[in-house]
Amino acid sequence: MSLGEVIFVVICLVVALGALGAVLSNSLIYAVFFLLLTMGGIGGLYIYLKTPFLAMMQILIYLGAVGVLLIFAVMLAGPFWRRPKERGPFLKGVAGLGVSLLSFILFWRVLRHHPWEVGPQGEVSTSRIGRAILDRYPFAFELISLLIVASILGAIMLGVLSRQGPPKAEED
Amino acid sequence: MRRWLREQFDRYFGSDPVRLLFALGGLFFATLVVLALLYWVVGKVVTAGLEAWGWDLVRLLLGLLGVMVVVFGNALFLVWAERKVAGHMQIRIGPKEVGPYGLLQSIADSVKLLAKEIITPRFVDRPLYLLAPLLIFVPCLVAMVVIPFDARLQVRDINVGIVMILAFSSLTVLAIFMAGWGSVNKYSLIGGVRSISQSIAYEIPMLLSILPVVMMARSLSLKEVVEAQSPYWFVLVQPVAFLIYFVCAVAETNRTPFDLPEAESELVAGYHTEYSGMRFSLFFLAEYTNIFIVCALATTFFLGGYKGPVLPGVVWFFLKTYALIFVIMWFRWTFPRVRFDQLLNFSWKFLIPLAMANLLVTGGLLKL
Repeated sequence: MSLGEVIFVVICLVVALGALGAVLSNSLIYAVFFLLLTMGGIGGLYIYLKTPFLAMMQILIYLGAVGVLLIFAVMLAGPFWRRPKERGPFLKGVAGLGVSLLSFILFWRVLRHHPWEVGPQGEVSTSRIGRAILDRYPFAFELISLLIVASILGAIMLGVLSRQGPPKAEED
Repeated sequence: MRRWLREQFDRYFGSDPVRLLFALGGLFFATLVVLALLYWVVGKVVTAGLEAWGWDLVRLLLGLLGVMVVVFGNALFLVWAERKVAGHMQIRIGPKEVGPYGLLQSIADSVKLLAKEIITPRFVDRPLYLLAPLLIFVPCLVAMVVIPFDARLQVRDINVGIVMILAFSSLTVLAIFMAGWGSVNKYSLIGGVRSISQSIAYEIPMLLSILPVVMMARSLSLKEVVEAQSPYWFVLVQPVAFLIYFVCAVAETNRTPFDLPEAESELVAGYHTEYSGMRFSLFFLAEYTNIFIVCALATTFFLGGYKGPVLPGVVWFFLKTYALIFVIMWFRWTFPRVRFDQLLNFSWKFLIPLAMANLLVTGGLLKL
């Protein structure tokens, strides 16, 4: 294994570790920080693939913006009695399996059946990325911005939920 | 001491001479194996590195060493300068006992900090508490790597240098929040939360005020931004952007009048209340390095960086940077601390629309 491959494997391990930690940790704050570890690791993968611009954008957006907002949301979230009702373990398991199966099939199909073309080797320049986003793939680019709509909706929901007072029974 | 050593020795190896022999032999072999492994790994890395990058690697290591020197030298100087400036602003003299003009004062201070006991409070959230002082230092070092101190004096000219600095500088907030949360102290936590909302509010106009510069220089490399300012500095073409950037820089480094995350009179010391000794001084060092970095960036983006007549570039660069730092210190003794709603309103209702308008006008004029 060459040095580059070793680095690649280490980054992959970091990403996997962060993802596992985010899912398995009990504390919400730790889950957020593990998620940020995963995001940083993905930034490392971009550097490995010689697209420093994408890597920096990954860090700027996912560590700087989304991460800080997540922590902010954790701080703003109401106390525990306002948590939505948790489903039973059976429903949770079915939902988890369904989602992972769906995404697995999706990734499998995309990876196997898409005609991948290997572009020219070497560093990808910023202007080429800009042209690709705005000329060739504007639809995908706009689709990604749904993320922002979803997060705004989530923020509004949190705001509305925290405006309700505590239930009367728990006050005395 | 000797008795204790002997007890430890007995505990691990016993008094039986044969066991002792085996233990020593094992230790010897273990050391050999570890040394061989280390030698092999280091050799591999060094040869691979030299093959891949050649003398670039040596240059990089030297550059990193230089960065460390600048970081520590700057912090030592700024601690002294801050006290001296504060003194003269209040018609006092400031430090004068240690060395000529009190110049060695900060060295004495750092020796004191090194000698202090490192206390870990019992109920802290240990991983976060210990990680925070280390993490807060990463963005400082990363930013130092790409700043051009002179036309040829730059550790690495990365073609996305500006994005890199901005991306990593947002990590500072995460580290501050880690410190605030990990300390399990209400003052620390309030400091951390304040820091987050402040950073969200001021990062946006900061980015928006740098974008016109990038548009005019047509590059994301710091060196090319400096080179693009050859007839006149960008501060003449973009005065609004410069002012917005400078206000945001003061806010991002948590300096007065925006020092709410560590407001002494309200929060003890804010997010670093529970830290002592070297851990505290790491926060301190990071803060002074951040001040240097934002001023160095202001110099690079708006004041022509290392460009200037007669004197060599490095001198010009440091002159401009320290002049800006002096202005920031001046702010501290001129403006009272703002209230929190004033702070947020100022950014969201004034700075962001202004920066947007500035960006639009710049874009329109460039396309004309």
